[in-house]
Amino acid sequence: MRCTLIFLSIGLLVVGLMAAPGLAQPNFAKVKEYRIERSVPPEAQACIECHRETTPGIFADWAKSRHANANITCLDCHLIQPGDQDIAQGHEKYYGRSDMPWGEAKYKMPIASIVTPKDCSRCHPDEATQYSKSKHANTIEIIWKLDPWLNKGMNSDNERKVGCLNCHGTEVKIDENGKIDPNTWPNAGVGRLNLDGSKGSCTSCHTRHRFSVGEARKPEACDQCHLGPDHPQIEIYEESKHGTIYHAYQDEYNFDAAGGTWTAGVDYRAPTCAACHMSGSGKEPTSHDVTQRLSWETQAPLSVRPQDFKPFPSGSDWKAERQKMKNICSSCHGDSWINDFYDGFDKAVTEYNEVYFKPAKAKLEELYEKGLLDKTKFFDERLEVEYYELWHHEGRRARMGAMMMAPDYAWWHGFYECKLRFANYMEEANHLIETGQKAYIAKDFPNATGDTTKPEKIFGKTQ
Amino acid sequence: MKKWITAAVLVGVGMVIAFPLFSMSYYTMVRTSTPEFCASCHEIKPAVVAWRSSTHTNNAAGVVVDCMDCHLPAPQDTFAFFFAKSYHGLKDVAVHFFVGEYDREKAREAAYAAFDNDQCQKCHRNLLHMPNQRGAMLAHRSVVYARPGYEKKCVDCHYDLVHSERGLVMFRQTRQIPYQAKGLKQL
Repeated sequence: MRCTLIFLSIGLLVVGLMAAPGLAQPNFAKVKEYRIERSVPPEAQACIECHRETTPGIFADWAKSRHANANITCLDCHLIQPGDQDIAQGHEKYYGRSDMPWGEAKYKMPIASIVTPKDCSRCHPDEATQYSKSKHANTIEIIWKLDPWLNKGMNSDNERKVGCLNCHGTEVKIDENGKIDPNTWPNAGVGRLNLDGSKGSCTSCHTRHRFSVGEARKPEACDQCHLGPDHPQIEIYEESKHGTIYHAYQDEYNFDAAGGTWTAGVDYRAPTCAACHMSGSGKEPTSHDVTQRLSWETQAPLSVRPQDFKPFPSGSDWKAERQKMKNICSSCHGDSWINDFYDGFDKAVTEYNEVYFKPAKAKLEELYEKGLLDKTKFFDERLEVEYYELWHHEGRRARMGAMMMAPDYAWWHGFYECKLRFANYMEEANHLIETGQKAYIAKDFPNATGDTTKPEKIFGKTQ
Repeated sequence: MKKWITAAVLVGVGMVIAFPLFSMSYYTMVRTSTPEFCASCHEIKPAVVAWRSSTHTNNAAGVVVDCMDCHLPAPQDTFAFFFAKSYHGLKDVAVHFFVGEYDREKAREAAYAAFDNDQCQKCHRNLLHMPNQRGAMLAHRSVVYARPGYEKKCVDCHYDLVHSERGLVMFRQTRQIPYQAKGLKQL
């Protein structure tokens, strides 16, 4: 009996001792400290102290950033001038709230929620300039010049907001109450049309509030948008040897090398998206114009050279751009490897153009001409969808798969699907032509309610 | 008469003619170099009014930056200064009488285009060491040591600095909202 009691109390003591540290230190996340040890304007200190409590995630992110390292505070990016239209009116009331730390009128500063490439250009002018020339920055102009969903109003405004424009970017507007129009926000699309006239959002790739160079160098920065049936760049990359090596060796990669020093073979073993499309390598300098170094427009219906891409001519010479990309390749590959690879890519593009796309397009035009297809809308007749998917889905997969060396995408998801699509499409088209029967028009095509007015900021008012 | 006497007389006569001539042209230059003189053209008056309310006029150091400090080459570059000043004076008079409407926005763009960084850097010379404004340090570095193809003008970011409709007089020392460049104008 006594023995049992002793054992019991010893047991309880042991359990108690084991649990004690747990009781004393509950499993809460550690609070990031912030001490003012360098000169910070009191207004900026107020931002930081208040947001530490109200939005600890944003604060902790910033505290780990290079910006915090360089003493760049909230105000350096968010401060605006009184009278600017995007002033955050709701924010001003916090300066009058006594329950908020630092909620005093003397710290009041006019701020804007949205920070744009123009704001970033205050400190990073060259990067912002390069970016402004890219297809990223100008994607809204491009899609409005090409896309039938928008121009024919075939999807709804909200389908666009949560879908297309999430990546491409909204046209940010202020509503009648002086607040950001919720139909246009939140958004970090690469081509966002900002109130100050600048285009895009640096935080698409360098996410808030870390703004990391390393993040943008990883394929994960690109894969939010570059995925799926119509532009599966990330899947293609992952299938390629480059992606395979990245996955196997990424823990050895040094993503945080200083700008201009990220080196193939030293800091990374195989390239990421950014390594080939943006980063400097060898003698080739870094650029934030992601669409330079391209020699084909592999996303266009008919592949053309970038300078001949009508919606947004690159203004460059494709041969010079290809040479730039070859210079990047040559950090790791020899000439015959590079040239013979490009040979296969060029052939894939030419075959796609000549064998699949041009005949399909000619057939579509014939159908329109003969009145067998109706031109009023797009997607409401099955052949239009088939034609669209031929270039927009498998046609892109084939070309991009060939470009970035993903065999499964080049063939099974690409040319194989092109073949089947093409055969079915031609069968149906020829059937209509032979019988003179008009195609079925889907009268109940759903939710085709979207606004067809082109953005005034780009196209002007004349519509 | 001895040769040296002729020479001395000629030099004397020269001085008698030249002194008032130089003195008058100097006087004219000084008189026509004031903001008040610039404001005597009604086209320019709003620019002078805006300048007077800007921090280039109102600051704790008491430094006042006149029109020609920014808009003309430095007077010690005598030839460039005289040439630019006379050219602009004559052009402005000619345009005033022979060309119609004065397009303020167009003139503003032309002024931005004509600005040379040297103009600003006559006074703003210490631009690279700002321990409490590291963003500005970074940006200034990209101007002072521009990469080939990325040359920029001071006014690309610092526009709307002096001649803006602010509706009140600015004092640099009592500025509540810190000054920030606005970012690249062309974006």
